[in-house]
Amino acid sequence: MIIELQSVNKVYNLGQPNEVQALFDINLVIEENSMVCLRGASGSGKSTLLAIIGCVFPATSGRAAVAGKQLARLPDRFMTIHRRRTIGFIFQQFNILPNLTVLDNIALPLLPLGISPDERRQRAAELIERLGIGHRRDFPAGQVSGGELQRVAIARALINNQPIILADEPTAHLDTTLSHDFMGIMVELKNAGKTIVIASHDPLVTEHPDMDRIIDVRDGRIDVS
Amino acid sequence: MKNRAIEKHFNLLDYALSSLWRRKLKNMGIITVFAVVIFLVASFQILTSSLTETAERMLAQTPEIVIQKMSAGRQESIPLAYLDRLDGIFGIRAAVPRVWGYYFDETSGANYTVMAADRSLMPEGKNLEMAIEGDFPAAGQGEAALGREVAANLKLAGRRTFSLFRPDLSLKSFRVSGIFAESTDLLTADLIVTGLDEGRDLFAIPENLATDLLLYVANPGEISTIAKKIAARLPDTRVLTRPQIHKTYKVVFGWRSGFASICLLTALAAFAILAWDKASGLSAEEKREIGILKILGWQTADILVLRFWESLAVSGLAFLGGCTAAYLHILFLEGSLFRPVLLGWSVIHPSLKIVPVFAAGDLLLIFTLSVLPYLAATVIPAWRGSTIPPDAAIK
Repeated sequence: MIIELQSVNKVYNLGQPNEVQALFDINLVIEENSMVCLRGASGSGKSTLLAIIGCVFPATSGRAAVAGKQLARLPDRFMTIHRRRTIGFIFQQFNILPNLTVLDNIALPLLPLGISPDERRQRAAELIERLGIGHRRDFPAGQVSGGELQRVAIARALINNQPIILADEPTAHLDTTLSHDFMGIMVELKNAGKTIVIASHDPLVTEHPDMDRIIDVRDGRIDVS
Repeated sequence: MKNRAIEKHFNLLDYALSSLWRRKLKNMGIITVFAVVIFLVASFQILTSSLTETAERMLAQTPEIVIQKMSAGRQESIPLAYLDRLDGIFGIRAAVPRVWGYYFDETSGANYTVMAADRSLMPEGKNLEMAIEGDFPAAGQGEAALGREVAANLKLAGRRTFSLFRPDLSLKSFRVSGIFAESTDLLTADLIVTGLDEGRDLFAIPENLATDLLLYVANPGEISTIAKKIAARLPDTRVLTRPQIHKTYKVVFGWRSGFASICLLTALAAFAILAWDKASGLSAEEKREIGILKILGWQTADILVLRFWESLAVSGLAFLGGCTAAYLHILFLEGSLFRPVLLGWSVIHPSLKIVPVFAAGDLLLIFTLSVLPYLAATVIPAWRGSTIPPDAAIK
């Protein structure tokens, strides 16, 4: 397994008056090279679960291991390094910097790795062509359509060739056609050996025929009913 | 292939510069305001250094010791008999009586400084030729050398003679023997130099008196020792030494510059506080960008390096721009913005030609007072901003 969570709890603002427990005793195993959907309503805790898997922050208690590393033992600095080597993120809001060109946005994760400009451009250009947005390569990201932005976000998540792709409500701002396209790309990536975890309540995603597994999240717990 | 760590810094520098360029309007505004403040501080610093340098150059040819007689705390004429009382003090090369005073010219409303001494008695008298266009006034010939501003005020228009009033309102005529060089304007702009007898005649000073006595010593290292001996032997006199006069010039310019610098440093501090305030209250857009970069694998240190390069580029450009503008301001406009503040000591403002003097120490001081506070004012709040969890930044 590439992802393994044991008795994971997450409490926000621990010990403060506004303390909130978002996850309760989560046990979860995700196999390598699978496509898994975390399904649940807004506020169910699926984004928090995705963030713990994505090494964005640690669990309050319990054990979380991603790609062979125990996250609880990792200092913040090493968690960041592990995240950039292992996880590619695709966000609901895409989180693209609108003033940068499409190509520069995609190459952004490579800057602190000391990759030369030529290599950055070459790697980004390959992904741009692969995802069919070559004609937008030098456009400011703020000037391209929602569907194209989604592809920019996917390309950025793949630029460092990470084995795990996490997507948080990726189709929330896409129409049906673009959502189908997105899922098509995810299937391609899975076939290429990636592990895909998508948090969504969009039936187009949750009921996709290539989805290996659906995990229901409700009120911070995995629903096994 | 470059080392990855070096390549990483090049990448971050490249990103920082392109990031500044993307917000060029805002950053140009900051650079301009910052450069103006640095320009003001640097102008004062260069002008002060230049004036001090000019004064030191000029004072190099002045006598090592000046003796003035004091009575009731005020200076009065000194009897020439005091010269005899200096006998036996070793190290005095020459002692020269001098008459000097101020002459108010009602026509132009200006005060001139009249200086009268017998140049042939001065050991360095020959050297003074370099400071004059024409000749030095010959003793007893009714001649005078004029500072450039005096010559302009007297409106000589080709004439070689002019007259000044004696205390009894009779006229004393002078023939112009020469005009002091522009490079000596700081000391000579308002100066009329003439022979000792002509000076006595103009001010109606008896022959056995002078305004003060000029002493030249053989060994400059003994100036203070000789001055102490003179002070002991002539207790009713004030003994001024060249180092003291140097110091006075430095203090005068330093005080004026210091006062103005304090005002300008206040402006600099206000700018730093503004920068701190702006940087500590990161905008939603900046927070979001930091959040995105962090979630994409950028470490806090990477973001700090990025902010460091950005701040260094802004403050460095402002520093270069401000200092260059200050240098050009002194070189071509002769510090016209601040001359009245630093040179307002005479009724005739010396229009001396200032050669900019920009010492490494001055540059370092301005750099320390401007660039370093700006770096601190922007990088420290950025560090606080970049330690927030990335998920909070992108929500």
